[in-house]
Amino acid sequence: MSESLERISTAILEGDEEKAPKLVARALRKQVSAKDILENALLVGMGEVGVRFKAGDMFVPEVLMSAEAMRASMELLRPELIREGVQLFGKILMGTVKGDLHDIGKNLVNMMCEGAGFEVIDLGFNAAPEKFLDAIKEHQPQIVGMSAMLTTTMRAMGYTIKAIEEAGLRDQVKIMVGGAPVDAEFAKRIGADGYGSNAPAGAELAKQFVGAA
Amino acid sequence: MPPAERLPIVVIACQVLEDMLERLLPENGRSVSQVTFMDYGLHRVPSKMAGALQDALDEIEEPSLIMLGYGLCGNGLEGLKAGKHTLVVPRTDDCIALLLGSYSAYRQEFAAVPGTYYLSKGWLESGSHPLSEYEEYLPKYGPKEAMWIMDMQYQHYERLMLVTHTQTDLVKYRPVAQQVARFCERWEMRYEERAGSDAYVRQLVEIAMALSRGEEPGQASGRDFVVVPPGGAIHQDQFIR
Repeated sequence: MSESLERISTAILEGDEEKAPKLVARALRKQVSAKDILENALLVGMGEVGVRFKAGDMFVPEVLMSAEAMRASMELLRPELIREGVQLFGKILMGTVKGDLHDIGKNLVNMMCEGAGFEVIDLGFNAAPEKFLDAIKEHQPQIVGMSAMLTTTMRAMGYTIKAIEEAGLRDQVKIMVGGAPVDAEFAKRIGADGYGSNAPAGAELAKQFVGAA
Repeated sequence: MPPAERLPIVVIACQVLEDMLERLLPENGRSVSQVTFMDYGLHRVPSKMAGALQDALDEIEEPSLIMLGYGLCGNGLEGLKAGKHTLVVPRTDDCIALLLGSYSAYRQEFAAVPGTYYLSKGWLESGSHPLSEYEEYLPKYGPKEAMWIMDMQYQHYERLMLVTHTQTDLVKYRPVAQQVARFCERWEMRYEERAGSDAYVRQLVEIAMALSRGEEPGQASGRDFVVVPPGGAIHQDQFIR
């Protein structure tokens, strides 16, 4: 990784909302491509945030600060990405499942997926299975993403997948799940197609689903 | 049937249950050989919780019946290995069911208002509530940023509930709970009080006693408790019901 990209990823990790976009602007002026900045600086920084959060070396406030630094950087980067003609990969329907009102993680995944070139339809939090069904019918997404932050609510992911199956819609979507208590084994058990251990991993998984990774 | 070998009971529990367990554990020290209350703070980092509990467990030399005063706690118990011991743990996601007295009481409250933040004597004393969290952020981030962090975390919550187990505790903890409640009015959270019940923890003690005597713990145990034999381990799927 070049020094300028490394400095951006450090600013993301440190949650420096002012420094990160400044460094992004500087890199753009130096003819570093927006795609390169996104993939090799912003996503790297956020990936490290995810790892440290899980290990208990970073807490919610720091993650929120990093997300803000990412958001501010993305605002600069988005027009450049469009100018560079980054391919659009399709639609993702995303929501925090029924009974769960934690949306910080889900919002982060949304931001990553948008950055990666997806259109994200956000169902918000406490989204019942019926809400997922209606939205699948309406928006015809390629991917459905679900988030849960509690062991109490993660089983609602399984119920939602079941409802999607029963409605005959399972074959038309890939399903990815994530959230603090979720792991790959649980994802498999409830019949999801994949699990993302943090926000950048979620976006990476989405790209794999559409054959873009 | 020949009498099974008695296992000494060792209690490893979260501090949040200290009060209740001290009331419920048998007074004479014959059956309970050791009681350790672990720091409240462990629940903040579930990925480190099992390690801390494993250390406490591995220190116990004599094969024992280990009564764990925990729930699955955000997968904090995931992977905990019994080793030469037998483990018994309430089959619940977290301590709220233990404070309310049953899993069904918890499900009922949860179904009614998913966005409920629970307060109890233990949690209030450990300073684990939104107001103290804000006070912790204040010097580090300043008022505006600190409040933004709070908003991001709590804006969708709807209810604050104080659970107490005695009239004395209700009177004692109501003022601080109400102070927290005033702070939480920012997110239009309403304040409620519930009389908790020690039924679930009482059952845990009874089942631990039965298991230590080598008795079959009865029907309720499979539904409400996870029992891990020597050599086994705790896994998330044992808690899902």
